[in-house]
Amino acid sequence: MSQHNLRTVVAFEFLRVVTKRRFWVASLAVPLAVAVLFTVVLLSNQSTDQTSQAQKNAQFSFTYTDASGLVTDAVAAEFGGTKASDGAKAIADVKSGTVEAYFAFPANPATEPVHVYGVDSGVFGNGKYSAVARQILVTAAQQKIGSPELSAVAQGNVSMTEEMYRAGQLTSGLNGVIPPLLFLLIFYVSIILLGNQMLNSTLEEKENRVTEMILTTMNPTTLIVGKVVSLFLVGVVQMATFAVPVVVGYLFFRQNLNLPNLDLSHLTLEPQAMIVGFLLLVGGFLLFTGTLVAIGAVVPTVKEAGAFFGPMMIMIFIPFYVVSLIVSDPHAVIVQVLTYFPYTAPVTAMLRNGLGSLSLLESLIVLVEVFGLGYLALRVAVRLFRYGSISYSSKLSVRTALRREGAG
Amino acid sequence: MAEPLVHITNFRMDFGDKTVVRDLSFDVHAGETFGFLGSNGSGKTTTLRALLGIYQPTGGVLHIDGKVFEPRDGARLGYLPEERGLYKKESVLDVMEYFGRLKGLSRTGAVSWSRAYLERVGLADKVATRLDKLSGGQQQKIQLGVTIMNEPELLILDEPTQGFDPVNRRLLMDIIDEQKRAGSTVIMVTHQMDEVERLCDRVILLKDGVAAAYGTVEDVQDSFGATTIRLHCTGTLPTSELYDVVSTDGRSADLAPRPGADAATILRELVTAGVAVTSFTTERTSLEEIFIRVYGDQHELAEA
Repeated sequence: MSQHNLRTVVAFEFLRVVTKRRFWVASLAVPLAVAVLFTVVLLSNQSTDQTSQAQKNAQFSFTYTDASGLVTDAVAAEFGGTKASDGAKAIADVKSGTVEAYFAFPANPATEPVHVYGVDSGVFGNGKYSAVARQILVTAAQQKIGSPELSAVAQGNVSMTEEMYRAGQLTSGLNGVIPPLLFLLIFYVSIILLGNQMLNSTLEEKENRVTEMILTTMNPTTLIVGKVVSLFLVGVVQMATFAVPVVVGYLFFRQNLNLPNLDLSHLTLEPQAMIVGFLLLVGGFLLFTGTLVAIGAVVPTVKEAGAFFGPMMIMIFIPFYVVSLIVSDPHAVIVQVLTYFPYTAPVTAMLRNGLGSLSLLESLIVLVEVFGLGYLALRVAVRLFRYGSISYSSKLSVRTALRREGAG
Repeated sequence: MAEPLVHITNFRMDFGDKTVVRDLSFDVHAGETFGFLGSNGSGKTTTLRALLGIYQPTGGVLHIDGKVFEPRDGARLGYLPEERGLYKKESVLDVMEYFGRLKGLSRTGAVSWSRAYLERVGLADKVATRLDKLSGGQQQKIQLGVTIMNEPELLILDEPTQGFDPVNRRLLMDIIDEQKRAGSTVIMVTHQMDEVERLCDRVILLKDGVAAAYGTVEDVQDSFGATTIRLHCTGTLPTSELYDVVSTDGRSADLAPRPGADAATILRELVTAGVAVTSFTTERTSLEEIFIRVYGDQHELAEA
């Protein structure tokens, strides 16, 4: 019967959320905004690319002087330029509109600016002069080097492979940091998206006066656990809703969006970091859910519950104020405090776990703490719901509720 | 005699320093309809909540079918609480199906029962309507449907007619009557004394957390002077050791005989005192009259 009721509660709570138009409007607003952003970026990038190419390849009449000796007549002619004998006259020609531009290449282009003079073509059109002047110099330099490979090296177009060792063992570096930090991302998204629902989940029974019907029909533990499970499922649906347009955008429009090519095959899944990260995610979710549900059982209205939501959210952001310290000195006192204080522990520990500065012993201590307190919070939530939700219009005395026997 | 279905002995309930119910004992037998009467704040709802495990009693024994009630026994219970409410943002059918499933019905069973019930109470067209779009009376009907949809062995109704117009009250009482005839044991809290006289086999009157009367409706009526004497007369009614004057308007009067006084002796005394009696009838005291007698002084105090 208990299993049957749990399934019934999960199905009811899950479906009543995901079948609401309001849920989809709220959920789709984010991916829709992302899609709009992608589209704008896409169009903008296309436009920028076209403009950039057009500017580089722009053909117009210009004269130049070259004190560096890099620019040959052939290169300048390739871009439509002719050498000027007198800089002052060249500038006068530009002013009079006889030629469209004049470039004065300095003796040392690496330290001195190239002076560009041109007939005004508008804010965007004027860019072509500098673009062509720069391209002339690049082409001239490449010809001077005489080797495409050396030119590429000179431009920094080189690839690297890295192997780092810790205690004689090869470490995975950044490729090993990213996967466990994804649990932190999931934790943030789930708490931010679902925190308010967690807080209000038991308030609904209270505000709608359903508590007595519920308490005489099923065990309150079944209701609370059912609500937590359904919230988790709602979170999965919501995250999938957010992720799909991002993944589709990346897979099909990566080139157009100028997104970096993420080679996922380089990512390393270190077993210990992944297991600890996953457990910290579950434990942290349990702790925050239990606490928010317990608060919901104590307060009489949504409005009063809102006062508790802010502080709970601050708890998960506090570690980011000292993130540089967490990265550089994980043994600093403040980092240790944040690692073990229950409501900052999940985020701090997940960060340190991802960065590789959380030892196995520290992981175990934090896991025992968050799971233990999470379980305790859920038990307290059940008890407070049991006795608190019947106090329909008044705030429950927590001490009174916890003193009663036979709860849950 | 068979074990009572509901057995309450020496029940006491304190909230902080305040004692709401003290030393309350009564039984409800299987198949009977039991009226739980009392003024507001006399401890009725508290007793029911303690019986159903919603409140933890300060003392005493509260058993249903020989044991303390647990939610897993809810499939055999129908409880209509005083504080009514359902999931207001959900549709009628979704809510009924949910509670039906929690009470052990199959999905199809819950849905088909709900549709039949809605047809009966005139809400067939509201199947997909959100509860908060219904009137208070319509929501009450849905709540009653949720209460009885598992055909409960024990039906506990806390002020079931609250918020109903006379037509719907009649419909509701018919439904309760059907449950009774189908074999349900019914405990009913109400202030409608005509309902009690019509439906209840036995009653308990609670005053200040203790039982002021308990037994069959007739027993309770008898314990409060058994009869009311209704007479038409001219002349001033004399003060007497035999009766109390319940009401008088100069031409007619209702008298409540004191214990041991019979109607014939009272009539003789009136005639001897010179009262011209034109009609003299005896009637069993109504529960409403008893209720007013028991709680009248309380209300006067409250009004003062």
